[in-house]
Amino acid sequence: MKRLWWLLPLVLVVLVWPLLAGDAFYQRIGALVVLAAISASAWNLIGGYAGQVSVGHAIFFGAGAYAALAVYTHLGWPPIAGVPLGIAVSLILAVLIGTPTFRLRGHYFSMATIAAAELIRLLAANWAWIGAAIGLMGPAAPRTLADLTFRSPLPYYYIFLGVLALLLSLTAAMERSRMGYYLRAINGGERAARSLGVPVLRYKLFALMLSATFTSVAGSLYAVMVGFADPDSTLGILISVKMIIVAALGGAGTLFGPLIGAVLLIPLEEWTNAAFGGSGTGVTYVVYGAIILLITRFEPGGLLHLASRIRGRPRAA
Amino acid sequence: MGAIYALFSSGLTLIWGMMNVINFAHGDFVMLAMYVAFFAWTLGHQGPLVSIPLAAALLALLGVVVYLGLIRSVMRGPMLAQILATFGLALLLRYAAFWAFSANFVALPDNLVGGTLQLAGLRLQEPRVLAGVVALALTLGLHLMLTRTMLGARMLAVAEDRAAAMLVGIRPDPMQALTWGLGAASTGIAGGLIALFYYISPTVGESLTLIGFVVVALGGFGSVPGALLAGLLIGVVESLSAYWFGPVYQDAVVYALFLLVLWVRPQGLLGTV
Amino acid sequence: MLLEASGVVQTFGQLRAVDSADLTVAKGEIVGLIGPNGAGKSTFFNALAGDRPPDDGRILFEGHDITHEGPEQHARRGIARTFQVPLTFEDMTVAENVLVGAFLRHSHRTAAEAVTRDVLEFTGLAPMADRRAGMLGTPGRKRLEIARALATEPRLLLLDEALAGLTPAEVQVAIGLVRRLHVRGITLVIVEHIMEVILTLAERAVVFHQGRVIAAGPPRAVVNDPAVVAAYLGHRMSRQIQQ
Repeated sequence: MKRLWWLLPLVLVVLVWPLLAGDAFYQRIGALVVLAAISASAWNLIGGYAGQVSVGHAIFFGAGAYAALAVYTHLGWPPIAGVPLGIAVSLILAVLIGTPTFRLRGHYFSMATIAAAELIRLLAANWAWIGAAIGLMGPAAPRTLADLTFRSPLPYYYIFLGVLALLLSLTAAMERSRMGYYLRAINGGERAARSLGVPVLRYKLFALMLSATFTSVAGSLYAVMVGFADPDSTLGILISVKMIIVAALGGAGTLFGPLIGAVLLIPLEEWTNAAFGGSGTGVTYVVYGAIILLITRFEPGGLLHLASRIRGRPRAA
Repeated sequence: MGAIYALFSSGLTLIWGMMNVINFAHGDFVMLAMYVAFFAWTLGHQGPLVSIPLAAALLALLGVVVYLGLIRSVMRGPMLAQILATFGLALLLRYAAFWAFSANFVALPDNLVGGTLQLAGLRLQEPRVLAGVVALALTLGLHLMLTRTMLGARMLAVAEDRAAAMLVGIRPDPMQALTWGLGAASTGIAGGLIALFYYISPTVGESLTLIGFVVVALGGFGSVPGALLAGLLIGVVESLSAYWFGPVYQDAVVYALFLLVLWVRPQGLLGTV
Repeated sequence: MLLEASGVVQTFGQLRAVDSADLTVAKGEIVGLIGPNGAGKSTFFNALAGDRPPDDGRILFEGHDITHEGPEQHARRGIARTFQVPLTFEDMTVAENVLVGAFLRHSHRTAAEAVTRDVLEFTGLAPMADRRAGMLGTPGRKRLEIARALATEPRLLLLDEALAGLTPAEVQVAIGLVRRLHVRGITLVIVEHIMEVILTLAERAVVFHQGRVIAAGPPRAVVNDPAVVAAYLGHRMSRQIQQ
């Protein structure tokens, strides 16, 4: 606990700044940062710790988003009630994709995730029940508190923060447990891990399912806040890529890496979008691409790894 | 069209088989080549006879540069870095293209290479036929080169066992750079060929990359003849599904096929896992 | 009999890498598998380790048929192995590497850590416990692999050329470690092609050549066996030597 004394003032800042900032613009960015941190931290479970790079995590995100808005559109329930549905769908997808590919070398899994993501996006764009290309919308005006439709980003910020805290505590606990070590062993060398009795397939699947669950929750939260979901904004490859780059920039396989990545990248994204106007989105991804190249070329461990290297300390759990 | 898939996919399978690196930017290489062909025409009034070799050369150069600058240092690292590296490259190329060329489609004039042929009751467009034939020939040529020449043998040796090849005196580095160069060149040629009859836009890279993966997976990683066979097969499947299900689903069928292949026979038709 | 392999066959395409090989290992023995390169001993070894199930034959461990069981099950049964080229988890520390092994028998961290400490002491790796495995040299990595395997509390330990590539001084240290493992009660099957090591350590040697077992017995006897000499040197040369 001694090492973490610096955490307390930081936590205070994190809790208080939106109230001080006052402007809804900044608060909204804050909420988006936390949301990105949730998705990236979820991805981190399978992609960072276990080293199984999923480039199609958007399917879980989209599942969560659509599930939330679908229960509202078709059943009239508050969107948040769709969370379990999103999770269920995501778990099924995780098992379907993971079971055949986890037996094979890592690349197969990655390619399968891309293909699956694209396939599902195409199917969703043509499935009328979930709005085809137009997508689904959430409640325009709140009917009850459960609808979680707020005018101000502030409540979203704190709700998301709560979920993030939950996810990070779970991850921290996992890190110190057998599962954490087994996942890192899988990342470090499957053949060796097997020879030590690690049930590789089982743990990979479990990590993927856990990751899918939280990504789905993130998707649902997104849908609740934004009130809208369509194939491009929730199932597109850029959603998947964003998760990866946010996690990788801060440090994949570390506890706080994704959060750091989110804090740096999301404001950057908003700024480039604003600064470059119409062609804004294009430039943002050029920047993303450049960042990814730099990270992979010079410091695959991300910023946290770079920091510990500078300080001369080897990475220890 | 299948033959063209085969062509650039054989480049992909070469890189994959050689060095265990999957080039996520492969489709975007093709996209760049298409733009080269486009600009060769609009700026220099050069037809395919010039633009295709030009594209091949430029892309080959790009391939070697990418290898030297990026891939080499990433190859020994964690899997995440490997996958991300070419992915980041793909992003960079794709959106730089968006930025530079805007999202609008452009196209080369239709009649650059002949018109339509009437062949045994089917209407075929000459550019497609020509492209297909060239692609087929080049893919076969690549296969022959790999299996019959000394250089090819060296490349295959490095692919199979890097350490052993080093012991025999083959330097792996130039071989791997060459692999990337060749692989990229194949995209250059493919791109130049496709540009003859397909629309050109920065978005093309994404689906082409995925199609490349499907072809390579189906044909077997590392197997050029496998890529050829699979490429032709996929081309046919695509056309048929466009006909049966409508063009919207044609990509979806290909992706579904990919997942099916992974489920059922991951080593593809002619490869080894 | 702790381990019994009979009629093991492994073919790769046209090549019979292992051609009906038998091996018995009694509890507490140290058995050496030797033979020139390409003789099939590594392939046989991998079959024993569960890495690659043989095409034919049977392998029994403590009476159970483990022929087709994978490495994870082998580990649970009490068979551990090291790799010819060390496959340590480079980005984890020495202690963490061993911890992974310890977790097999102890799901709780505290218990696993206790075992880890023991093993680190036993193998002499304690001073380097917090160092990244990637920073160790080859002898360190080989020792780490042994430590890691040891943490799974095996009854049988398969060492794949654990002493190859070491300097003579390092070899002596390694031999000492192997002897201590033996004293601790672990049965060992060692693959080596350094004759010295087999002569020093093994109670019994089994010689492979072209996929078959051509000799078995006490190391001294086996080394002088004309068939063995012929295998290593080639028939013509050995005839010359005998003349």
